[in-house]
Amino acid sequence: MFSGDFGEMTAEDVKFSFERALEHDSPVKSDWGPLEGVEVTGKYTGVISFREPFEPVWLVTFPFGVGHIVSKKAVMQATQGGDFKMNPPAFSGPYMLDEWVPNQHIRLKRNPAWTGEAPGYDGITILPIADEKSAELAYEAGDVDFTWISLASLANYQASPPADTTIEIYPALSYVWLGMNIDNAVLSDINLRKAIQYAVNVEQIVDAAYFGGAEPSTGIIAPGLVGHREKTLVPAEGDLDKAREYLEKAGGPPSEPLTIDISSESKWKTMAEIIQAQLLQLGIQTEINVQDSGSFNTLGMESEGQRWKNVQLILNRFSMQPDPFYATSWFVSDQVGIWNWERFRNEEFDQLEKKALTEGDPAKRSTMYTRMQDLMEESGAYRFLTHEATPLMYRNTVDAAVRPDGRPLLVEFKPANG
Amino acid sequence: MLIFVLRRLALSVAIVAIAVVLLNAMLHLVPGDPTVMILGPRATPELIERTREAMGLDRPFYIQTLTFFGNLLRGDMGVDVFTGRSVASIVFSQLPYTLTLIAASIVWSAALGIVIGCYSAFRRGSWIDLSAGVLSVSTISVPSFVMALYGLLIFAVGLRWFPAVGAGTGFWGQAHYLVLPAFAIGISWVGYIARVVRASMLEILGANHVRMARAFGLTERRIVFSYALKIAVLPAVTLIGTGVVHLFSAAVFAEVIFSRPGIGALIVNAVNERNYPIVLGCILVTTIVIVLATLVSDLVNAWLDPRIREAL
Repeated sequence: MFSGDFGEMTAEDVKFSFERALEHDSPVKSDWGPLEGVEVTGKYTGVISFREPFEPVWLVTFPFGVGHIVSKKAVMQATQGGDFKMNPPAFSGPYMLDEWVPNQHIRLKRNPAWTGEAPGYDGITILPIADEKSAELAYEAGDVDFTWISLASLANYQASPPADTTIEIYPALSYVWLGMNIDNAVLSDINLRKAIQYAVNVEQIVDAAYFGGAEPSTGIIAPGLVGHREKTLVPAEGDLDKAREYLEKAGGPPSEPLTIDISSESKWKTMAEIIQAQLLQLGIQTEINVQDSGSFNTLGMESEGQRWKNVQLILNRFSMQPDPFYATSWFVSDQVGIWNWERFRNEEFDQLEKKALTEGDPAKRSTMYTRMQDLMEESGAYRFLTHEATPLMYRNTVDAAVRPDGRPLLVEFKPANG
Repeated sequence: MLIFVLRRLALSVAIVAIAVVLLNAMLHLVPGDPTVMILGPRATPELIERTREAMGLDRPFYIQTLTFFGNLLRGDMGVDVFTGRSVASIVFSQLPYTLTLIAASIVWSAALGIVIGCYSAFRRGSWIDLSAGVLSVSTISVPSFVMALYGLLIFAVGLRWFPAVGAGTGFWGQAHYLVLPAFAIGISWVGYIARVVRASMLEILGANHVRMARAFGLTERRIVFSYALKIAVLPAVTLIGTGVVHLFSAAVFAEVIFSRPGIGALIVNAVNERNYPIVLGCILVTTIVIVLATLVSDLVNAWLDPRIREAL
């Protein structure tokens, strides 16, 4: 049932919710892939039609944003005079919005129209705390009962946890890599790129920047997902002899220092400084360009002028949903100058990317995505670093529920003794 | 006096307009595109272009600026590109938190700083004066974010006297949440004000009119409270007036560390997201506050010192 007078959820609501992403040319409509439309066959039944198979629908489209079902009646009523902005007109889960004070808190309360199992609490307050350290102190001060913590603090908390506290660490779906702009005049030589790949010791970087809380990655698809690669082509610890061989083929180190573009968070600076020291072992000089997130986020975009031409090395991080297409889709040729800042172009990669979307056999799909990551690495444009990790802590009075990547499922939170 | 106020107000309008244009120009000079942040990574280039047009970002900078001022004259500060809420409602919902924080910091630091400064001046060379001097310089030297972190660790985490994050609700609730951030921001001002007031008081106590008052047999207490103090605090008033800018900067740190709502945190996020309407709204309002604070400090000085009043 929807809250208010909006009645029960029907197939009409499903049709309205799914098709509106296409109807309104939503920025996330690509999550629906080749959706043709929804045919309503009864009050609670219908058929969702795609022009061709679209495998991510199970792990991305239905469970996340575009798959959420809203009340047609409530939305149409609320949008008659414009849009409903930040005031959702109806709710259908165990909790509903009680109060939202921007930059201060979001308070949830029980949804009286909910007919399922009663939620664990009368209300839940979510505090937006941008700084992880502040969140940790807020937890220690007793202001919050559940929080993510920084990897920098993890070892200390594990050694000496706050009273009545559970500390857990979950894998993350993000992927971090050192990218190289193939179209940059200096880095257009694949031998130089390979020399850099082999000179970078991933273990050292990840250990220093994540305080031993994360592992080196083998690609862009995290462990446990279809398409995760068992190992990299270049060993995580690198190989200085091979790096020197490639550098010799490239004619020696570049005459001018290479630039490493990073965002202004301290961990990027740590990583860049270690890469700087590692490349110096080959005689490759580098300069670190620290940029605010607004500048960094458009670094390789052609729409931002000629800046992309000067981009050389980039320390970058993307996050994904649990389908491999969410990771690989940024590196196709069509994304060059948009999100593909390494300007990596490979026909086989592009073909596999399209084919893997329609492949229903997980084993075959996995082989395709593994090959795609091989192609990325073979290009010399990528040195995969880590998938990071999500450490968190909560009071033992709370039976906290989280997704496999550590994101809280507040609806499932219950008192530990309840 | 009236002419002075009107002249200063006219000048203030010019200062605000110049500040808004310059700061907005600087933001447009650095790379970044708000539509990328709004629409997310999966938006098509066509959709991004359409959104840029709808937001007026495809127009030249001077047209965007003139449009902003034109709308402002009609009382419209624009619309937040992320939430669709009016900029005025967002900025004015956050401003009171920052102003309260700054005001609380000024009040407690000025009260304590003036007392310490005066007392040090009366007891010049004593161990109290020396201790106050050392403490003042120490508090000036420690950045406010360090004080914020130590305040959190000691009073929120260790003693649990005060909450660590948030702003609270209701008068007493908000006051409770205000203590630590106001302490963190104000502590260095205690030192500043104490040093300034001490120096000023020493000068006043040796001035001709004070010596004359003593010769007439007025009590030291009357001399200090009726004549010397008013003049001794003048530099502190000027310092606070011009120091509002620094207090705004310090408030940014405090708002981040204590996860408080406020205009400092709002403007930092808006700049990072290239949310131009919010940036413009914040610059406009903070510049007005700073200009008004300077004007008020000049007027307070004139009220306290007849010589300044006559010169206006």
